[in-house]
Amino acid sequence: MSDKKIGDDAENLPWLGRKLLWVDNPANVKRVFQVLILICIGLFFSDFIYARHGKFEFEQYWGFYGAFGFIAFCIVIFGAKALRTLIKRDEDYYAPHVVDTEEYPDSGLDKASYKDD
Amino acid sequence: MIDAFPPAFIFLIVATLLPLIPGGSVRATIMLLVPVASFWLIWNAPTGMDAQFEFFGFTLTLMRVDKLSVIFGLIFSVAAFLSSLYAFKVHDRVQQSATLFYAGSAIGAVFAGDLISLFFFWEGTAIASVFLIWARGTEGAYHTGMRYLIVQIGSGVILIAGVGLLYQQTGSIAFDKMVLESLGTWLIFLAFGIKCAFPLLHNWLQDSYPAATVTGTVVLSAFTTKLAIYALARGFPGTEILIYIGAVMTIFPIFFAEIENDLRRVLAYSLNNQLGFMVVGIGIGTPMALNGTAAHAFAHILYKALLFMSVGAVLHRTGTSKASELGGLYKTMPLTMIFCVVGAASISAFPLFSGFVSKSLILDASATTGHWIVWLVLVFASAGVLSHSGIKIPFFTFFAHDSGKRPKEAPTHMLLAMGLTAFLCVAIGVYPAMLYSLLPFDVEYHPYTASHVISQLQLLFFALLAFGVLMRAGVYPPELRAINLDFDWTYRRLLPKIIGTVSAVASTIWAAIIGFAMRRINNIISGLYRTHGPEGPIAKVWPTGSMVLWIAMLLAATLLVSFIDLM
Repeated sequence: MSDKKIGDDAENLPWLGRKLLWVDNPANVKRVFQVLILICIGLFFSDFIYARHGKFEFEQYWGFYGAFGFIAFCIVIFGAKALRTLIKRDEDYYAPHVVDTEEYPDSGLDKASYKDD
Repeated sequence: MIDAFPPAFIFLIVATLLPLIPGGSVRATIMLLVPVASFWLIWNAPTGMDAQFEFFGFTLTLMRVDKLSVIFGLIFSVAAFLSSLYAFKVHDRVQQSATLFYAGSAIGAVFAGDLISLFFFWEGTAIASVFLIWARGTEGAYHTGMRYLIVQIGSGVILIAGVGLLYQQTGSIAFDKMVLESLGTWLIFLAFGIKCAFPLLHNWLQDSYPAATVTGTVVLSAFTTKLAIYALARGFPGTEILIYIGAVMTIFPIFFAEIENDLRRVLAYSLNNQLGFMVVGIGIGTPMALNGTAAHAFAHILYKALLFMSVGAVLHRTGTSKASELGGLYKTMPLTMIFCVVGAASISAFPLFSGFVSKSLILDASATTGHWIVWLVLVFASAGVLSHSGIKIPFFTFFAHDSGKRPKEAPTHMLLAMGLTAFLCVAIGVYPAMLYSLLPFDVEYHPYTASHVISQLQLLFFALLAFGVLMRAGVYPPELRAINLDFDWTYRRLLPKIIGTVSAVASTIWAAIIGFAMRRINNIISGLYRTHGPEGPIAKVWPTGSMVLWIAMLLAATLLVSFIDLM
């Protein structure tokens, strides 16, 4: 797999790309997730240490925004999944009157890949 | 003597002459200078009505300079500059001219002081912009462009019909605050609503923007819809129905964006959702709300352009903008990735990014005026924005599963354009006073209070946590090569199908009726032929002898009558 090699050798990659390669490691992804949990715990408890100024009474409940954000995100995801079962169609549903099934013409692009080198 | 020279004229004059200039780079450089000149003209334009002239008995005003028109004029000039920089290597004369015509028309419309000049520039944006779609040069782009053009021109036709009715009623063509009380104002409202992508009138946006060229989409994203926002803010501030229209606009595109595969279409849905916030602001109509709308339009043009630029750069290098085909590009396009993340953070309204300081004005205005359901909807929509624009766009393009693609970093001019736009997004977020000083009304507002920052961070980080949990649980919807139906299905499939069925049924019934009638007539004809034809029974009493007899009878009767008369 020559594609993989470019990533692993990291010689051809831009400096910044090399520095970020750690995100490919699942153990590090887990660590990021753990940090996220810690931040959320910290943000939840911060509700107790400052005077909150909400316009509505329900804003004053502890963890209102956190719970709202979490639940809203889940509603969006599960709602979208349900919607997909109803409205998903093949890519060529409207073809040939749409661009979805077409390749973008090469003349308008400047494709360049490290694989070309 | 004109004190305020209309900046639109510079765009239109240069756009007309540009194709004559040889050398693509020269043309591209001129395209960078035009918005700079326009910015300078607008910045220095004296407040008031200017550049007025007579046209068929109407007084047209090309320069109505006040704070509302100036802020839109300025951001349109900035957008024209940034998108021209992004398209610096596009030397296609058609796209170059179209871009200037389009931006110039949008700026012209913003400064139009009357509804007739508004109409001219309104149609100008429609006609010029379609070339940015057709420039892709494929059959699909041609058809998409035609659909786009029909909708956009339709909006203009409805606008001029409304203007005509309004003029008949009031005798004025002034473009000022209107009330929804007559057919004329409703038509004008509808025309604005089409361009603003109101719910059920919105599909032209998601249909056409992903079909334009790499650079064309960046240009398109700035002008048409924000011109409509300006027109609504000018014509219908405080119109209550807009609050609810806007609230619906913030919600429904989120779900579609989440399952859309083409990232440029995801951004088009996201654009629709952001317009919703602005429309709510116009509907509330208080000084703070209108400030929020203007500020959000300003910030939105920048971060939306930035997101379209970063996805465009990926398309430019890989040939695709489909999430299912991308992933892992951070390795070779790290700068584009960072700019994309800046755009994503700005649209998600993270503190220190532009969306935070602009959107909160609208949320605050909705809370202050007691619209708590609308406020909840907007907060919900804010979490939704994070899901598709904040996470989905950067995550599935640059991280997620490795697509194996190793495209080179975006070209320098694109990086420059993205870098400059990203800088502005952060600058507005860090130092909002700069943006606030441009707003239409003087309002004291401090976005960086502990309460506001922490509550926003809680909302966003817990939403991020939900993303992490759902991702790890494997329930996050995968990116699939598919399309999703939307309301346009009704006029692209259902309506043609209904018309097809109705015409088939009607022609069957018609054929049956005609067949029945023809059979009856044929029966009568053949019946008559049978009785009166040469072989028919009536033909048997035709001998000339009977005719002579009858004539003799008549003669006898005549003689008899004459004889009686003589007596």
